[in-house]
Amino acid sequence: METEWDVIIIGGGPAGLSAAIYCGRALRKTLLLEKKVFGGQIVNADIIENYPGFAEPIVPADLMEQMVKQAERYGVVLENDEVSGLRQVKESWQIEVYQKMVAAKAVIYAAGSVHRFLGVSGEKELLGRGVSVCATCDAPFFLQRKVAVLGGGDTALSEALHLAKFASEVVIVHRRDRFRAEKILQDRVFKNDKIKIIWDSEVRSFKGDQKLSGIELKNKKTGANETIGLDGAFLAIGTIPNTELLKDFVRLDDNGYVITDISLGTEAKGLFVAGEVIKGNRRQVAISVGMGVQAALSCEEFLASLD
Amino acid sequence: MAEIISANDVNFESLIKNNRMTIVDFWAPTCMPCRLMEPGLEKIAASHQGNVQVLKVNVNESPKTSSRFLVRTLPTLLFIKDGQVKTQIIGAVNPNQIEKTLIEVG
Repeated sequence: METEWDVIIIGGGPAGLSAAIYCGRALRKTLLLEKKVFGGQIVNADIIENYPGFAEPIVPADLMEQMVKQAERYGVVLENDEVSGLRQVKESWQIEVYQKMVAAKAVIYAAGSVHRFLGVSGEKELLGRGVSVCATCDAPFFLQRKVAVLGGGDTALSEALHLAKFASEVVIVHRRDRFRAEKILQDRVFKNDKIKIIWDSEVRSFKGDQKLSGIELKNKKTGANETIGLDGAFLAIGTIPNTELLKDFVRLDDNGYVITDISLGTEAKGLFVAGEVIKGNRRQVAISVGMGVQAALSCEEFLASLD
Repeated sequence: MAEIISANDVNFESLIKNNRMTIVDFWAPTCMPCRLMEPGLEKIAASHQGNVQVLKVNVNESPKTSSRFLVRTLPTLLFIKDGQVKTQIIGAVNPNQIEKTLIEVG
């Protein structure tokens, strides 16, 4: 075993980084592992307007960079690596990363979620060829072009508003007859002349050879099919929790979310969870931050019991 | 220490005309995952100095190069050798994944 840590945090989004700050301040030897970029999925958003304490909109990447610096300030080691295995051996948690194993007395699992895909024809083939999961990343490719956003939550409406600054027309395709997004976002969408909404409809397939040329829709109420021509389609239909590594240790619901209580502990000794892996999480930075703090405090109570 | 080289529609072709492995990082100022991936690419450029060159192409300023490789999503990394695209990675990745890809494509 290469290294012995007090705590290893898996996931470098708002939950993992908040937990890291608290573990560091508890003077625990803490390692945080993040497989993509530090900051988590929120860095894909263009602005955050509802994070308490900031009267003006903030850039998510700026906020997350501050969290990274804050964690480092308290001695947390941050490594950009993917966890490929998790094992509990007696009192120790052993974690497999690229070309090595690391071990800790406790684990805080905050690996978040991944984008949900529709699984329909053409989606996989045209991903990166007009089908996208990040409006802020890819909006520049669709200057004065027609695009669609699929979904009806906060992410979908935020992405539509961002894309409307670049595209000639934005069509929101939603499978219900109302949005579940924040009312303020709905208000902005309804008032934006560039944004049109297609209600009660689902995407049946993505069309195009080499690059996206259109989407085939089915109206759920009338049963009518329609194909609309466009250059870009942005998926914002929710996420799937990243809990594959947990299934041998904790109880998951049918959708793969962890079932836990306010302590954020699990039935596995020394394993704590935080953020979007938890059932009922509403995907807000502020909620994930709070959960990260709670998991770190519960973890500290556990570590103190071993001292 | 090797640095990431800024490439554009004008100098791109001359920069890939060598027998070294080239990683091309397509990015835009609005792409935050691109910004957060840069420290990892700097590490790769430094640790493979002499063998691998890392180029960055701002898609807003170099539309011809991004169109040529059908880049429509960011971040996109292309791995080019002898003028041929060996493989590509779409989306944010960590430096170890880039290392693994370098080994795979030789």
